[in-house]
Amino acid sequence: MTVEQNFEALDQFPVGMRVLAVDDDQTCLKILETLLRHCQYHVTTTNQAQKALELLRENKNKFDLVISDVDMPDMDGFKLLELVGLEMDLPVIMLSAHSDPKYVMKGVTHGACDYLLKPVRIEELKNIWQHVVRSRFDKNRGSNNGDKRDGSGNEGVGNSDQNNGRANNRKRKDQYNEDDDEEKDDNDDSSAQKKQRVVWTVELHKKFVAAVNQLGYEKAMPKKILDLMNVEKLTRENVASHLQKFRLYLKRISGVANQQAIMANPDLHFLQMSSSLNGLDGFHHRPIPVGSGQFHGGAPAMRSFPPNGILGRLNTPSGIGVHNLSSPPAGMFLQNQTDLGKFHHVSSLPLNHSDGGNILQGLPLPSEFDQLQTNNNNNNIRNMNNNKSIAGTSMAFPSFSTQQNSIIGAPNNNLVVLEGHPQASPPSFPGHQINKRLEHWSNAVSLSTLPPPPAQNSNSIHHHFDVSPLPHSKPDTLEWNNVSSSYSIPFCDSATTLSPPALDTSTTNPRAFCRNTDFDSNTNAQPGGFYDTLQTRQSGNYGPTTDAMLSSNPKEGFVVGQHKLQSGGFMSAEAGSLDDIVNSTMKQEQSQGDLSGGDLGYGGFSSLRTCI
Amino acid sequence: MNTTVVAQLQRQFQDYIVSLYQQGFLDNQFSELRKLQDEGTPDFVSEVVFLFFDDCSKLINTMSTSLEQPDNVDFKQLDSGVHQLKGSSSSVGAKRVKNVCISFKECCDVQNREGCLRCLQQVDYEYKMLKTKLQELFNLEQQILQAGGTIPQVDIS
Repeated sequence: MTVEQNFEALDQFPVGMRVLAVDDDQTCLKILETLLRHCQYHVTTTNQAQKALELLRENKNKFDLVISDVDMPDMDGFKLLELVGLEMDLPVIMLSAHSDPKYVMKGVTHGACDYLLKPVRIEELKNIWQHVVRSRFDKNRGSNNGDKRDGSGNEGVGNSDQNNGRANNRKRKDQYNEDDDEEKDDNDDSSAQKKQRVVWTVELHKKFVAAVNQLGYEKAMPKKILDLMNVEKLTRENVASHLQKFRLYLKRISGVANQQAIMANPDLHFLQMSSSLNGLDGFHHRPIPVGSGQFHGGAPAMRSFPPNGILGRLNTPSGIGVHNLSSPPAGMFLQNQTDLGKFHHVSSLPLNHSDGGNILQGLPLPSEFDQLQTNNNNNNIRNMNNNKSIAGTSMAFPSFSTQQNSIIGAPNNNLVVLEGHPQASPPSFPGHQINKRLEHWSNAVSLSTLPPPPAQNSNSIHHHFDVSPLPHSKPDTLEWNNVSSSYSIPFCDSATTLSPPALDTSTTNPRAFCRNTDFDSNTNAQPGGFYDTLQTRQSGNYGPTTDAMLSSNPKEGFVVGQHKLQSGGFMSAEAGSLDDIVNSTMKQEQSQGDLSGGDLGYGGFSSLRTCI
Repeated sequence: MNTTVVAQLQRQFQDYIVSLYQQGFLDNQFSELRKLQDEGTPDFVSEVVFLFFDDCSKLINTMSTSLEQPDNVDFKQLDSGVHQLKGSSSSVGAKRVKNVCISFKECCDVQNREGCLRCLQQVDYEYKMLKTKLQELFNLEQQILQAGGTIPQVDIS
């Protein structure tokens, strides 16, 4: 193509779009070629995958799109797909006579931007140019680490906040694209996901936070942070994205705290705190706009999140649950603590800012904890978690210690306490506060490891503290657990320092936050019996037991009657606003959940995560 | 140009191709291919079809070899061959061939050598039959063109 022709082609896009077609079947290849020509694309064909790679490597700008058959003798089409995505970052469409959904899924997880069935129709090919546009569009919006695929296969370090956070954040050129890759992430646990991604582990996050603190929140720049962190293979983009999310999270927390402080009652305080913690989690995932405030509002805020987004989701609706907290008995939220997810929520009790530091105020009484435990109001918790009333986080530690007692009484509260340190000052995000917050979180994590008070049905409570994902006894609860665990302390590593003597487990809850996309709660080794109880608890909670649990708590108004999680294990909130939210979320999730059959016990589990 | 001859040939062509559809030799995909044929690519359909037949014979040979030894049948390779045949037959609209491939695949799945052999024979028969039919069709096309006429677009409903 001459230069003029190239320009013309570009101008007339999609006319002249350069396609590389790969298929070992000569019949199909010829047909494909002709079809593509009829769509006015510029077509190059080869019947060998190896040759295709050569052509692509020769000149990366020579093609706009690759269409490849799946079954080829010299190289598996999926492998080619991966390589093209990794090396050339071009959109790839898969072609196959296999209509089996698992192949389609495989294509998606390997990064295909589309999957067409043979015989291919010209109508389908007429629209493939959209993938090129999408890919370019996504690239322009920001760079991703590792492979960046077109919209359908986006991944990277978490997902950028598509909500207010984004608007609030200053423009960053390396924003992560909206993660549209639920489908991909759904198969998180599958090994198919080979894209390089940065997983913000607890340790890594700690380093990040330390670097930010060292530089000063206001002055923290990705490059400098990266230098300070001194982590191999971490790129500036990774850090930038993480920083962006972190900022969003903090903003959300402060924003929520402001709202919440007014509306929430003390009980909510606790939950808010946890939700704020969750916010960290949401940091990674698409957080729900903090502004939602309203419990009810949480539902709409909940969007379908990427698979690992469960955490995010839980955390997101900042307003979720917080407001509602006032309606349901405080205990209800705590109930959620039974599952990890709840854990977060619990902590999301609104900080009682006016309180000046008596976090415990919001803490439910031990008896309430019991109720909470029995109550699997995951939804509540989730919602609450979303509440990013991290206001508490900005509280100084000293208050924490005073609350320790209460914590012990109400393990759940611990979590809350940690996060919900009453704020002496209105929530804001001065840089220094962030440090404190971070510390709090860390501490919170450690608190989470408090052993359950003997009197209480601490199992459930403890669960919440479990910062790190607990190994799941059941595969289906895996996600759940992960979620909850990750909630506990976004960004936080196993802080431990704060830990009261009883706390021995370094709850590395931060997983939640750190976790990039996969909740690998399973992988977390939970020290001690705490986790064991958690596990059992969790599994119990997640499963069919929820109903029973629910009903056992008279107090939990809205918890009671909630059905246990639906297919994904979500509790279908039926009663009350929380339920509505949850339901709506769940519905969203469920539809998505169906995709993830995968390894999840629940078909839609991954989607469920998002709901939470 | 002898319009009568042309008209006659055209009618003959039309009837013939409709019968092929009705007898299940061809399906809609074939008519899609025909639509793609234009002045720029006047022989597109025949080219594709002959590529297909070429593929068929190669695949059938390979599969036949796979099935030769009763106690040493490579069903995986067989399955791969059937899959490819299915893909290409569906792409050209060779309906009967494709249908045999579906049964063939089922036999492969359960490792039924006897069944596979039967399917293989049937595939062989079907593709050769189709080849004959299509050659006849192309002949008619040629005659029409030589008589100065145009090949009618046949609507399969």
